[in-house]
Amino acid sequence: MSPRSAASEATGGRLRPPARGPRAGLLRRHPLARFLLRRTLTAALLALGVTLVTFVLTNLVPGDPAAANLGQRAIGDPAIVAQFRHQHGLDKPLPVQYATYLGNLFHGDLGESQQSHQPVLTDLGTAVPATLELAGAAIVVSLVVGVAFGVVAALRRDRFTDQLLRVVSLLGVSVPTFWLALLAFYLFFYKFGIAPGSGRIAPEFAPPPDVTGLYTVDAALAGQWPVFWSAVGHLMLPALVLTAYTVGLLTRFTRSAVLEVLGQDYVRAARAKGLPGRTVLFHYVLRAALVPVITVAGLAFGALLSGTVLVESIFAWPGLGAYAYRSATTLDLPAVMGVGLVVGIVYLTVNLAVDVLYGLIDPRVRVQ
Amino acid sequence: MSRFSTGSYPAALSLVAVAALALTACSGAGSTTGSSSGGGKTLVVDTSFNLKTADPGREFEPTGQIVDKALYETLLTFEGNDVTKPIPGLASSYEQSADGRTLTLHLRAGAKFSDGSAVTADDVVFSLNRVIALKGNPSFLLDGVTVTKTDASTVTLVSAKSNPALPFILPNPALGIVNAKTVQAHGGSATASDAAEKYLNSASAGSGPYTLSSFNTNTQVVLTKNPKYNGAAKPTYDKIVIRNVQAPTQKLNVQRGDSQVALDLTSDQVKGLGGGLKVSSGASSDVIFLLLNQDTKVSSVTANAKFVEAVRKGIDYKGLLTLGGAGSVQPAGVIPSNFLGALPASQAAGRDLAGAKAALKASGIAKPSVTLGYPSDLTVDGLSLQTLAERIQAQLKEVGIDVTLAPAPTTTELDNYRNGKEQAGLWYWGPDYPDPSDYLVFLPGNLVGLRAGWKAGADNELTALGEKAATTIGDDTRKTQYEEIQTRLNAGGPFIPLMQPSRNTVSAASVTGIAYNPVWTIDVAALGSK
Repeated sequence: MSPRSAASEATGGRLRPPARGPRAGLLRRHPLARFLLRRTLTAALLALGVTLVTFVLTNLVPGDPAAANLGQRAIGDPAIVAQFRHQHGLDKPLPVQYATYLGNLFHGDLGESQQSHQPVLTDLGTAVPATLELAGAAIVVSLVVGVAFGVVAALRRDRFTDQLLRVVSLLGVSVPTFWLALLAFYLFFYKFGIAPGSGRIAPEFAPPPDVTGLYTVDAALAGQWPVFWSAVGHLMLPALVLTAYTVGLLTRFTRSAVLEVLGQDYVRAARAKGLPGRTVLFHYVLRAALVPVITVAGLAFGALLSGTVLVESIFAWPGLGAYAYRSATTLDLPAVMGVGLVVGIVYLTVNLAVDVLYGLIDPRVRVQ
Repeated sequence: MSRFSTGSYPAALSLVAVAALALTACSGAGSTTGSSSGGGKTLVVDTSFNLKTADPGREFEPTGQIVDKALYETLLTFEGNDVTKPIPGLASSYEQSADGRTLTLHLRAGAKFSDGSAVTADDVVFSLNRVIALKGNPSFLLDGVTVTKTDASTVTLVSAKSNPALPFILPNPALGIVNAKTVQAHGGSATASDAAEKYLNSASAGSGPYTLSSFNTNTQVVLTKNPKYNGAAKPTYDKIVIRNVQAPTQKLNVQRGDSQVALDLTSDQVKGLGGGLKVSSGASSDVIFLLLNQDTKVSSVTANAKFVEAVRKGIDYKGLLTLGGAGSVQPAGVIPSNFLGALPASQAAGRDLAGAKAALKASGIAKPSVTLGYPSDLTVDGLSLQTLAERIQAQLKEVGIDVTLAPAPTTTELDNYRNGKEQAGLWYWGPDYPDPSDYLVFLPGNLVGLRAGWKAGADNELTALGEKAATTIGDDTRKTQYEEIQTRLNAGGPFIPLMQPSRNTVSAASVTGIAYNPVWTIDVAALGSK
């Protein structure tokens, strides 16, 4: 019994504090809502921490943003340099710069990129959906294939299939993603001609009307089917390359988890009852085995985000990785801060989703 | 242990994988570009983007120059890769006063913006004054220049002091003429408070052969043929897509026919390219040089004149050229070999190992050691400065000079370079405009001179020569003066010009008119097809 419920028992409910309005009642009645609120507040604090760490680190890097962004002649003109510093707030003390950044952040203003001369939010508005489309496709494929491979490997333990999948998964986690990307592009695009070229869609098409930023979804919503198929085609190869690592990872973890569950008494009991193999697998084994797999999937999503930097470069995919690289190499501080914030929020959201999924899958860890 | 029914899973998964690849194959493989398809002829150009804006008053990056060259006409321009002679653009003719201060330009009759309105002298005055007022990267091009309208078809540019380079500066796409009324209607003004950049990144307001259909600094820029364009040569392609693609992918794209032009392939990458592709190689106008700091507070070693001589004689220039690829050349001075005022190749320094050792001995420095700073992540026309630095280190070791390599990211090393903190540095100078006066920055007390710790007064005779050359009119006289400046610079200056690497442009066999121009790299509107 939790301390809270013990206290409630002791008072017999008579000394309960008066209700504080509908929201308080909602939170009391719905532990999940309470949990989500608590986690959201924590996440907001962590995001704030991310901005501080990113700000401090980017300012610790030796180098002058004016020198990195102004031309070789312009940098020699003190008036132009002064205007650049003033325009980007670099002429103010660091604490003031950070306070200004935070103040603007609360109004949804992430500053202006020194490279693209556009609001960072606008830049992220095109880069983030591109990466989410890529990483999202990759994680879905990884989950389906990785879990299936893991289950098969566990059920065929020490047989040829298991050995084969072990080799496949080891290759997946061992082969560097950038090398695989180069190889895949060379083979499937150049050599065999079965994959489309670089970019998100073929150059003869204009991007679909922007609704979600995901070309596949936006093209489908607009009914532009040639664009849709072009977007799907361009998405396939980079997404499959990204899945190599995560499929390998998920295969190994799923195999271990399934093997552990297979030895449990309740699985033996289910089988002893004469339940069909599929029922035992999906309702008894897989459900219990999925808890650690979901943790790994959350981590894998993070790995996918970092893996996109090189894959995006090879496939000319204009996503967050490419934007982050360009921003970092040109000391585009507002853009670097924006990328840091987005990546932080993605990680926090994925972690939150993983925690919520725990509760949904396994009643034992359901939120109190 | 009883078995579960799983036999069909591997087969099903194989099917999924095959289906995924089949779907990929069915949905866009072998894109249909470079040829007529529905919306007309499309040309795809792949390049690694260095692009911030399409606003001509603000852009000064290589990709921005390509884009704005197609969108905006300039008063004067160059033909193909010949940058020694400005030719008419929006101005049909021009005259320069004998003192070099006044340039009078007569506008071409009938020139129209893409909205159909006529290009006027007011548009020219607004556009150039806007560049000056914005204080952006290209503002220096018109330093000290006053722009006035003489009459409806004549514009006069008066420089504060003699400015013989102005006709060579005006072809720069950053000085493209914009439609004043349109730009003003979208927040533009010839003041620092101009707010038209956002508009000019979404639409063009020029009279060039193309208009801007879409613009993204990370992805691609799409240009569409301007039906109102009335210049001499009409563009061939209805649509041009300029994509941001890294060099290795550019190679595969152009080989496969997914693109028709690749701009950034290195000499290694173009080796053995077949399949009907054309490779245009030639020396770029980027001059890679070594600087030896003359400030004794930074290094008493590099400030020693005999030590500089030892380095100059100790470098194996021909050996370095093998790194630059076929077509790379050794400039005899800091001015590129294809510019007015370039020293003849016969005056280029060569290796003299014995002379280098003798100079080192005469320097009186025992066991000299210097630190060489350079941007390790920077490639100049595909040549990595890291590779070059390592080769220089090995060559100077033979002379008896111990070079410690100090690689750093560009953003970090730029600070050291621009603040004159490097003992020795490995950098390059890309021309801002194709005129020898752009290279006066290497003189004592000037921009690059100061980066080598070469302060004003260090060589008064050279400074006087520079001041004279900056204001002299007449190509022949100027040529002689700039040759004299470079000869003196080579004899006692802190700079050692190393090479102009090879610049490669790869195109499909069907594309004609490829010409590398040092100012705008490539004029996409001049490309044709056969």
